[in-house]
Amino acid sequence: MNLGKEFSKGILSENPLFRLTLGMCPSLAITTSVFNGLGMGIAFTVVLLASNIVISLLRKVIPDSIRIPCYIVIIATFVTMIEMIMHAFTPELFESLGIFIPLIVVNCIILGRAEAFANKNSLAPSIMDALGMGLGYTLALLVVSTFREILGAGTFLGYAIFGQSALIMILPPGAFITLGCVLAFLNKIQNRTKHSVNS
Amino acid sequence: MRKVLKLSLFLLIVASIAGFSISYVNGITDPLIEQQNAEKKQSSFNDVYPGADDVKDESKKYITNDSDEVVKEVNIAYKSNIPVGVIYTVKPNGYNGKIEMLVGFDINSKKITAIKILSQSETPGLGANSKESFFSDRFKGLNAESSIEIVKKESVQDNEVLAITAATITSKAVASGVNVARQHFISNFAK
Repeated sequence: MNLGKEFSKGILSENPLFRLTLGMCPSLAITTSVFNGLGMGIAFTVVLLASNIVISLLRKVIPDSIRIPCYIVIIATFVTMIEMIMHAFTPELFESLGIFIPLIVVNCIILGRAEAFANKNSLAPSIMDALGMGLGYTLALLVVSTFREILGAGTFLGYAIFGQSALIMILPPGAFITLGCVLAFLNKIQNRTKHSVNS
Repeated sequence: MRKVLKLSLFLLIVASIAGFSISYVNGITDPLIEQQNAEKKQSSFNDVYPGADDVKDESKKYITNDSDEVVKEVNIAYKSNIPVGVIYTVKPNGYNGKIEMLVGFDINSKKITAIKILSQSETPGLGANSKESFFSDRFKGLNAESSIEIVKKESVQDNEVLAITAATITSKAVASGVNVARQHFISNFAK
């Protein structure tokens, strides 16, 4: 088992947001500012790491027929803990992420990694998988939220860049436009590299 | 039958471990959250009615069955044990849900000292601007004795407040919250 490959696949070839297009709902909603994107990415990575570790350790103990309820209980526990910890120590971030922290529970990427990876693999690859997927998801959120914050609010991490801004980029349509453009760009690159390999 | 029992027992164990660990973390974080909320409340009271020695929650005394349900809390600001101001917590309906806000009144001059939006879920970039000081400052010093109207033109007269551009519903919601507090204030404290 190649640990480096388990880590790097989440960043590019199997990026949860850009390649697997999982977890769209929270990703589109919270990427109005880079700060939110980063906070969501970190919270997500911590939950994914914790749930992958526990599920990978318990993969031989959990009976197959009730594995999904067990995963959900485990994931929900970690999300609730993260929510309380964020509320206590980073209240500003907690307020701006709002409803999307509890929604990490039903983020299909986490359940997807538990089902597709952690319950079939031992501890070390599961940790690498969680870190790679978490980093990939965080990077994807950062890309989308950077475009949206700069174009929509004229700021980056709260610092003013432009005086003028296109409000639509902060509103929900801006999320779809940005994501569509990024996906189109990545597909274009992928097609080009495929062509050059073929010819 | 035996299998069902075994599975439910397993799920029970998993759930109780989860429950215990959550309550452990809650025990650590809860006092911190509580303390933070209290500090935040105190500092927002100070923003809305500066210079009070003490602010006491007297909602039980002043919120009766007849009062509007938008009024959530009535806090009295004291200066050397004399009530000088009233700070209301009101929750009017905005464009996207409830807007929680504080409205402060000075008992002596019967004027609005300031308003402050505590939480809202209005459209980012439009209605969400209601929490910015440029809008809330427009309510400062208005007379509490007559109703406050939202207008869209630049020339504002007494007790008129200029709406936020492209967020008239939110502006009106904020004004309605202020008006509810204003009515309660006039009927209870301005005699």
